[in-house]
Amino acid sequence: MWVGGYISGMDGRTNPAAPETRDASADSFEELRLRLEDPDWSTWTEADFEGRALSAFAFQFETCEPYRAFCRHRGITPDNVGSWEAVPAVPATAFKYFDFTSAPEMAPHHDPRFESGLFLTSGTTRGTQARGRHHVPSLGLYRASLAEPFRRALLPELEPGGDPTALFLSLIPSPAEAPDSSLSFMVGAAAQRYAREVVWLVDGDGRWAEGAVPLASEEVESARRSGEPVLLLGTALSFVHLIESAESEPDVAACLAALPDSARVMETGGFKGSRRSVTRDALYEGIERVTGIARHRIVNEYGMTELLSQLYEGGSSGGARSSGAPSDGLHRPPPWLEVRALDPTDLTPLPEGRDGILGFFDLANLGSVCHVLTEDVGSVHDGGVRLKGRALGAEPRGCSRAMDDLMSAARG
Amino acid sequence: MADTRAAGAANVPAVIERLEDSGRKLRARPLGEIIAALGRVGARFLDDQDPLRQRALSGIPEEARVSRPMAEAILGGMAVDWTEERLRALVTAEFEDPGALDGIVTVPVPRGLLTSFGPSDGDRPDGGTAPSAVRRVRAFGPRLCVQIVSGSVPGVAVHALIRSLLVKSPTLLKPGRGDTLLAQLFAEALAQEDAELSDALEVVYWPGGSQEAEGLVLQAADVAVIYGSDETVKALRTRVPATTRVVAYHHRVGVGAVGRAALDGSGAELMEVALDLARAVALFEQQGCVCPQVVFVEEGGETSPSDFARAVAGALGELEGELPSPRRTTGEAGGLAQLRGTAEIHQASGRAEVHHGGGDAPWTVVFETDSVRLPDGGPRTLRVRPVSDLAELPHILTSLGPHLQSVGHAGLGDRVEQLADALGQAGASRVVPFRALSFPPPWWLHDGRGPLTELVRWMEVEEE
Repeated sequence: MWVGGYISGMDGRTNPAAPETRDASADSFEELRLRLEDPDWSTWTEADFEGRALSAFAFQFETCEPYRAFCRHRGITPDNVGSWEAVPAVPATAFKYFDFTSAPEMAPHHDPRFESGLFLTSGTTRGTQARGRHHVPSLGLYRASLAEPFRRALLPELEPGGDPTALFLSLIPSPAEAPDSSLSFMVGAAAQRYAREVVWLVDGDGRWAEGAVPLASEEVESARRSGEPVLLLGTALSFVHLIESAESEPDVAACLAALPDSARVMETGGFKGSRRSVTRDALYEGIERVTGIARHRIVNEYGMTELLSQLYEGGSSGGARSSGAPSDGLHRPPPWLEVRALDPTDLTPLPEGRDGILGFFDLANLGSVCHVLTEDVGSVHDGGVRLKGRALGAEPRGCSRAMDDLMSAARG
Repeated sequence: MADTRAAGAANVPAVIERLEDSGRKLRARPLGEIIAALGRVGARFLDDQDPLRQRALSGIPEEARVSRPMAEAILGGMAVDWTEERLRALVTAEFEDPGALDGIVTVPVPRGLLTSFGPSDGDRPDGGTAPSAVRRVRAFGPRLCVQIVSGSVPGVAVHALIRSLLVKSPTLLKPGRGDTLLAQLFAEALAQEDAELSDALEVVYWPGGSQEAEGLVLQAADVAVIYGSDETVKALRTRVPATTRVVAYHHRVGVGAVGRAALDGSGAELMEVALDLARAVALFEQQGCVCPQVVFVEEGGETSPSDFARAVAGALGELEGELPSPRRTTGEAGGLAQLRGTAEIHQASGRAEVHHGGGDAPWTVVFETDSVRLPDGGPRTLRVRPVSDLAELPHILTSLGPHLQSVGHAGLGDRVEQLADALGQAGASRVVPFRALSFPPPWWLHDGRGPLTELVRWMEVEEE
């Protein structure tokens, strides 16, 4: 992650803009940041989303060269597009091959609003080692977009803007350990805002961090006494390892057993790049067994490096799961994220309830491309998404990786 | 052949014991009898009236996820190699005297070679006698051969089990997830045809990664044949004892080469080349190492490489009538959308031209004018790259090295031999016209090695 300022005229591709244009663009980032910070979601309207989406498209068309070429190729420009649905969506995979940065040309040291980042995908999907790259010109915008959905889904007892009083136990490496991970950044940013203390349980290689377990035990004990909210966060794979550790290491087992009943779990991701796979039911059963945290307090997060916003299962309803209500199995987006299920053959929108590939329009992606077509399958119900999991279609054919490496190097 | 379905880890030791027992009888059978029995079973898969073939054809489409016409094309191309005539040709191609599998045989060693390369009669430094001009040899198949096959190309598992039975080795075979049916049907038919021979075969299936069952058989075998991704081969190798021979077929790919001569012909000739190539791409839904994934087209012909790409796209479209694509899952269609969208962004920046079958068909041809990167889009996707001269091809392909298998070609004229030699040095094991690409003969040098000879152990006998 390169933090500390947007590099002026990066790659020489962005159009030199007059100072007043630059300021206007920078102001639009700032204005959106403040909008996303507002915990009152009732003020969002369709017209509000549409207007912002079309301005974002105009901005991205102007400042992101490969995206502009793509849109022109499809005959779509800001002048002839009437709704966000008609804005061309880029395939998430294309983040591996193109730099989709959209940003005003800012002089880095003159505008503190433009602290920027670069996040990489894990690079194990679809058989190619190329890693998706998401340049984020404004980390402030990312922080704003992640905060309120996180609070609603995982810490509804905290007031927006209240004191950071929670205890985080993270099986996701810290941003310092995993500087190019968008997920680590998210946990770090959420911890800054909501946590009194965060215990990073594992290092960047996924091994127990030194002294983490005793520290976690102490902190859990203190949280029990004070009644502070406790949140245990990890990927599905990290929870598989945690369950195994709890079964063989008494100190881990004791630490987990001491978690208060009011604790919650954020579980995310799949088993990408791993040969392990367990069903989600079996995983949640295991988590419940070793932590004592009731199943309805385990919240699934859906996110991807290419999108700055996240969806939580049962999330935006204000923590329905935490009250013990059964989950409706839907992931809810925040109001600045629209999702559609698309017919995989012609990418036309499908009616509610029909499975298709998911396309997202994320206003928080102002600094890259808002409209992203994923490989994930799911259906839309009343604004929420029922996920069918990552596309597990054809396994990458033999050597597609070697072949792609060859083709990228060879010039006939 | 006993229980063909799902031998779990619990009964693996009993299965291994039975197979080892059967080996004694198997080794005593004359090779000719074994060939005849296997050939009779194989021929049934070609007989339209035979219920065995009908069962195969009704099951393959679902298991291997291919259309019915594709299942017919695959079975026809595969099973022809399982007939007695082809199996005899296979053992003859592999062994100078196939009788070496029945007993000690005498094979000549040309005397001229001995005198030119070694000490001549009478002047050996150790004072011993010179070797005779013949060798007395015997070939033994493995005491127990374990074959772990992965993938979903129908018929590969049957090829595999035939190979080890031909060298008189009791065989435990785990077919690939999409290729269990043919192996089971073959085993079942063999049990009816020749119970003793079928006792030496066990077809088992357990989901990939069943460590316990796999571990037991890997420990028991003296030859382990592994088909799979590089990762699978690597993982299994580590679980095989040091004394066990591992015959590994890791992932490999096919490419194509189209020379100027093919681009100078009439429209009809060009379409024929395009159709041959399209068929080679589509067969097996591009899952095999015989399927081209990229084709290099020479510049300077009457038809430009870009127009040739268009012709191949047309041919792939036409082929949907003859060999229709199977229905895609939403996930597969999603992967294809990623490829097409990414290719379209390359196209927008002038680095590629994309042709595809839209929502109706998965075929996608990407003509690349520059070095681009693309995700894998699944079946029937072909990358076309222009080259100024195909003589550059061996150099271009060097980086594929151990993963290069087949090179299909058209329009090379008298350059074939020279180019093939260089391609062989780059790693290719097969250089053939597009039309012959999909179904190599049974004696093909699979991964560049003899399919039977690499299973056997030789013994040499000298008399006083």
